Parts: sequence; structure tokens; C-alpha cells
Amino acid sequence: MNPLRIPLTKSVFIFLSAASLAIPQAFNPSKPPRDVWPTYNGDYSGRRYSPLTEVNAANVQALSVAWIYHIENVGMQRGVGLPDIKSTPLMVNGVLYFTIPDHVYAVDARTGRELWHFDWEDHGGHLTGQRGVGIYEGWLYFMTPDDWFISLDGATGKERWRKKVADEKMQYFTTMAPMVIGNRVIVGVGGDAMDVPGFLEARDPETGDVEWRWNTEPKPGEPGADTWPGASAMEHGGGMTWLPGTYDPELDLLYWGTGNPNPVYAGQSRKGDDLWTCSIVALKPETGKLVWYFQASPHDTHDWDDVETPVLFDATVDGHPRKLLGQAARNGYFFVLDRTNGKNIVSKPFVPLNWSKGVNSLGEPIPNVEKQPSVDGALLSIPAGGGTNWMPPSFDPQTNLFYVNATNGYSLAYLTDTDAKPEGYGGSGRNLWTQHELEAIDYRTGNIEWRHRYTTASGGAGTPGILTTAGQVLFTGDYGGNLIAYAPANGAILWHFHMGRSLSNGPETYLLDGRQYVVAGAGDTLFAFRLLK
Amino acid sequence: MKTAESRLVTRAVWKGCRTAVLCTFAISLCAQQPRPPQRPAPGAERTRQFLGLGPPPDAAAAALGEPIFERNCAFCHGPKARGAEGPNLVRSSVVLDDEKGESIGKVVHAGRPDRGMPAFPTLSETQLYDIAEFLHQEVYLAANRGTYQLLNIVSGNAAAGEAYFNGAGQCNTCHSVTGDLAHIGAKMRPADLQQAFLYPASVREERTPSTVVVTLPDGKTIKGTVMNIDDFEVTMRDDNGVPRSFVLGNGTKAEVENKLARHLELLKHYTDADMHNLTAYLTTFK
Repeated sequence: MNPLRIPLTKSVFIFLSAASLAIPQAFNPSKPPRDVWPTYNGDYSGRRYSPLTEVNAANVQALSVAWIYHIENVGMQRGVGLPDIKSTPLMVNGVLYFTIPDHVYAVDARTGRELWHFDWEDHGGHLTGQRGVGIYEGWLYFMTPDDWFISLDGATGKERWRKKVADEKMQYFTTMAPMVIGNRVIVGVGGDAMDVPGFLEARDPETGDVEWRWNTEPKPGEPGADTWPGASAMEHGGGMTWLPGTYDPELDLLYWGTGNPNPVYAGQSRKGDDLWTCSIVALKPETGKLVWYFQASPHDTHDWDDVETPVLFDATVDGHPRKLLGQAARNGYFFVLDRTNGKNIVSKPFVPLNWSKGVNSLGEPIPNVEKQPSVDGALLSIPAGGGTNWMPPSFDPQTNLFYVNATNGYSLAYLTDTDAKPEGYGGSGRNLWTQHELEAIDYRTGNIEWRHRYTTASGGAGTPGILTTAGQVLFTGDYGGNLIAYAPANGAILWHFHMGRSLSNGPETYLLDGRQYVVAGAGDTLFAFRLLK
Repeated sequence: MKTAESRLVTRAVWKGCRTAVLCTFAISLCAQQPRPPQRPAPGAERTRQFLGLGPPPDAAAAALGEPIFERNCAFCHGPKARGAEGPNLVRSSVVLDDEKGESIGKVVHAGRPDRGMPAFPTLSETQLYDIAEFLHQEVYLAANRGTYQLLNIVSGNAAAGEAYFNGAGQCNTCHSVTGDLAHIGAKMRPADLQQAFLYPASVREERTPSTVVVTLPDGKTIKGTVMNIDDFEVTMRDDNGVPRSFVLGNGTKAEVENKLARHLELLKHYTDADMHNLTAYLTTFK
């Protein structure tokens, strides 16, 4: 609830350049970011919309590289290859803080020079991604593949303390950027190779101790338990919480998306809706108590986590101002909910799909049992990975459009474990054909206002996030190494820059020394842009 | 990674010691005729590393351990250790924290009388190790999705598949089961075959470079195979094998020819039965 104080601790203060006399914006993620980018999404809303206008549709063609930071001396990371910057850097007092698995970097936001580098030795877990750090006062919070929650001194990168969140031998791993709300740090977990239950925790920013834990599955006898066949199925759980959520300070509600149930593809041992997996939930940040939920994929059998950012925006529906929540879900549906109570307003596919037979009276998709994974293969009219993934979307209040990088495609879903008690994934998906596209969705109807199909070859690499700005520029990337500026109203291409590797994170923007920077990650390299003078 | 490597070394050294021990029991153990260990699926090792699963289990010992487990443990823990009356051992922390039988062996040897588990004091150290490796293998085979094998995917009706091939699917307008598809059922495994006829480019062996035609502002066209293409430029190798690149826009256009357009169109129309029938038909051409 309380806006965070300006983190002018003595240690951070030394990074303030003498030239910078402007006082930074109050460190308050309740407001859109201007001269700061203090959370994964820039603010609590998840809109990734910046009020800055120095860079705008009229001059974006003069955008030019200010500096490049290239990650050195890390080499190939276990099981994943070259480093991939999936984190959105925080920018506080002229310093950018960003991560890759096992590594945190502090880089001067003016020059791109490294200030410090924290190197965590690999002790296991998945190195599939790292979304960034959280900040409270002058302290940073970082999560490791082997489930350590670590606090660092923002000035030096020195470790302050560490706390274990989960067991990597049970195949838990952590990738998310801890989310600071008031004097709590919210942390979530990932992991589905070994069928473990998910949870979300609030921890004390000073000590790292647990304040509350919300389990993504009920225990026998609790509300929701009737959506599972029994205790064993609930213990296999799932519902991982691996992407930062969003927060409404006025309603004092924390919004979070949960992942798929386990075993991932083999649903025979967990018949029922499997609450609260594949759901959007609203929790009280003081207690972790569930206020409402909306299940995006009852009884998911396709590995379609519903962790995609629940984006908060205020807009009119049928002429009335409403507090809304929008999500482009991995299962291919675009949802709009009333975020005060979770009631559904829009449920509409944003890519073709045949796994569902429409929606029920609550707006929740009804799975088509014939398209669940089968031994001989079920043909899906959506990619195996779903219609989108974790890549940050954006909502632009100037156009009232919701933007998402979507993927169309066809795939096969196979069941490989027919045991009455399957373990692990229990199946697999195989892509046949895919086509990436940028979509602008009308939140009132779910209709696609415009789309841009990427010409780049099918299946190209990249995890491009989206940024919109009041300067009427939308930044995102294609799957062939280009950072691209679009006109948010109609999708016209205004500018592009070939970064070598594809955009791998959500682009961000901030004002520093009175100039607007745009920062984007491309694999192992961070690029900063500003207008030529 | 460093930790995992050192654990690997530990287990390798231990295995060496065990081999020496095994020699003294060679006759009795060989009599058990262990099943040959399954060859790891492609990608299994890569996935093991990615998941951080620790050292791969000792498949030979696991094969020896399976019947011992079946006789002594399966009644309570289920044949695949996934739980029955007794707890699921595939996700047991005793099993997951165990390296090479040191923890599992103790529990089996002494039992857990407080929880109703009997002791097995007569099992030898080697048998305990074999049981432990069987459990490690069950964990590994469940958790490492790189080891998963598709089951028998051929469920369709070959005659109906033939009718589709020559009828609704119009496959015979481009393909022939005595021509380009002769012996296709012997050349490809059914799952690859199913994937290949649905969309050939989704199978590695079937990927072919796309052809692009660039039209210049003056109307002149240049044809080549695509090296790279995006919204802004195209790089191709022309008919003489020379790399050429073109900036798109201002009247310069590129069109990529999709040779698989008909396959893509069919994807919209297949029922699962059509697909399974076609698979059944094509697998008959050995």
C-alpha cells in the first residue's frame, strides 16, 4: 500500500552523477515510470506503457545506439547454451540492474559500463531463464536456479543473506524477479519435471523470512479439493508461480497467474478442474488470502501455464468506467475480467484453436476431450507451446489496445505414459508449422484491430516483449534479430535496428539527464538507444 | 555444474569399486539374466543436463534391482514405485537425496517400524545398491522427458487411409505410393511418418531451402534460395550460387514460394481419424 521511499541510501547515492541535478521520481511503482524503472514491468500495473514523449513517432527514425553492454566470461550455460537476457533491467538512480541465470549485473545507465557483477556458482536447477531483480531501499533481491532467495547490496553487489525457498532435487527452480510491495517481497517458483505442488510466498525484505505462503492447490477437505480426485493428485500439484504478478494499490489486491497442473500431459490421474492451476488469482498482500479466482484452463493437459502477465487498466465497458484486468493466455484465449471481483467480461481466442469447445457461463474455456494428448496423437490448430508465452505484453491507454506477440500454428499432442499413476510430463508436443505475429487486440471485444505477420522464417528464435509509449511508438522485436518501432494505432513500421540476436526481453524506457533512453536485450547483449543530437 | 561433475566422479569411482566386488558374485548375479539396458533416447543426455538431474543411474544395476524390488517392495510401493499402500518413492526426498544407496539402503535394511514398514535385514549391500539404482532409474525415466518414447501410434484403418489418400486428401495428385513414397513405411518410423506427411518441414530430414523471387522497382526479377529474410531485407543465393542481398521497400519486393502450401491447407481440414487412417495406410508400404 505505502509508496516506497526514495532509495537514497548512502551506498546508492555514490552512483549519482554530479551532472544529474534533477531529483529522481519518487520510487513509487503505483505510478507510470518516468526517470526510473523500479519493477519488472516498470510499475505495478503490468501495462508497460511509458508516459515519455521525447522519442516519438515523428523522430524515432533518429534513434541511435548510445552504448552496448556485452556479457563476457560466462560462456555456454548448462543445458541452455549462450546467455539470454530475459530480464527487464531495473533502472534506479542511473544504474541498471539485470540478470541471467546465476548472474546479476549492475551497469551505468549513462555509459553502459559495468559497476559490479554477482556470480553464483551453478549447483543445479534449471537455467531456462531469469527475469530480473526486485529492489527495496538499497537492497536487491535475486533468485537462483537452485532456489536460493538472495539479498544483495545494490551499491556493491555483495551478498547480504540467502534463504532457501524450495528443493532443486524435487525439480523446483526459480526464475522470477521478486516483486516488492510495501515492506513485503513476493516470490514464486517453477518446476514440473517431478510433479510437485506450487506456491507463492511473501518474505520479509530485511530478514528473508516467510510471512505467508499461498499454496496453489488445496489440501484435502479445503475449498477447491473437490476439483481433484484425491490427496495424491493434489500433491502432484503444479500451478507454478514463475512470472511476476501485478498489484492494484487502491483495491490492495495482488494478481497472479498460475502454471499448468502435473503430470503435465497425462491427465488421467487428476480428473477434474484441478484448482488453482492455470488460473488468475487475486490475493490480499497482507495475508496471502485468496479473494477471487478465474480459471483460464480447467484441467489443462497441454503445458499451457497461465502465468502470462495479468495487465491492469482502467477503461470503459458499455460506457461505464471499469477496473479491468486483461490477459493474453498461453492457451490462446484473450480474457478481460473485472478486477474487483474476477467476473469475466471477454473470452475470445486470439489465435485459431480447437482444444476448446467454447466457454462456460463463467467465461472459462471448456476443454475438448478429443484434443487431449493421445497415444496416436491429437492434431491441434495451435502450436505445442501455445498462442503466446511469458514475453511481456503491453496495454496502451492512448489507443486502448492490448498488444501481444502471438504464434499461430499446428501441432501434435502425444500421451506417452498410460499408467493409472503417471509421473513426470507423461507426454509431449510436436510442432508442425508456426507463424509469429504481433497483434493489437480491442479489449472490449477481443477482436484483432491489426496484426503484423513476421516475414522471418517459421520457428525463428526470440522472446520479444512489448513496450508502448505516449510518444505513439510501440517497441518490440521480430524473430530475426530486429528491434522494431511500430505505430501503435495501425502497425505501420517506423524504425528498425538489427541487433544480431533477437529481442529476448521486454524493452524499457526512462529519462536520464533529461534524455529518453530505450533499452533492449538481445541474447547476451544489452543495447541502449537515444535520439541523435 | 561443478557440484554435479564432482558427484559424477564420486559415482564413477564407486562403480569401479563395485565392479571388483561384483566379480566375486558373478555367477549368482548373471543367473538373473538382467534385461539389456534401454539405449538412451536422443536428447536424453542434453535434457538430463538441462534439468540438473545429477549423474545418470547405473542401468545395469537398476535392471538387477527391478526384480528384487518387485519381490520385496512392490506390494506396498507399487511396481514402478509410484505408491500403493505405501508412499510414492519417485518423489521421496530419501530417494532424491540419495547418491548411491547409502540412504535408501539404511531405510530398507532397518525398516520404518513406526510407519509400518518392515525391515529387510537379509538383503546384501549389493542388492540394496541395485534397488537404489532401480529407484533412481524410475525417477530418471519419469523426470527426464528426453527419455520418453512414443508408444504404438498406429491406430487407424489402412483402407480408410487409402480412400483418403486417393479421395478427399488428393494426396495422389502429387504423390505416389509406388513412386516417391515407395517403401515409406520401412524408411520412417510411424511417428516421424505421421509428422512428415502432415507438414514435411517439421521433420528435420525433410527441410529444404525456400525459393524467393525478388522484384526490383524496374520490374526485373531475381530468383534464389533464401539465406535470410525479414521485413527489411532478403539474402539469397542466386542460381549461380552467389550470395546477394536486397533492401526491401521503395518498390523492391520479395515473395517466398511455399512449396508446402497444399500441406498447410490440408492441416485445416484433417480430422484426427483422417490423420490416423493415413498413417496406418502409409506404414503398410514396407
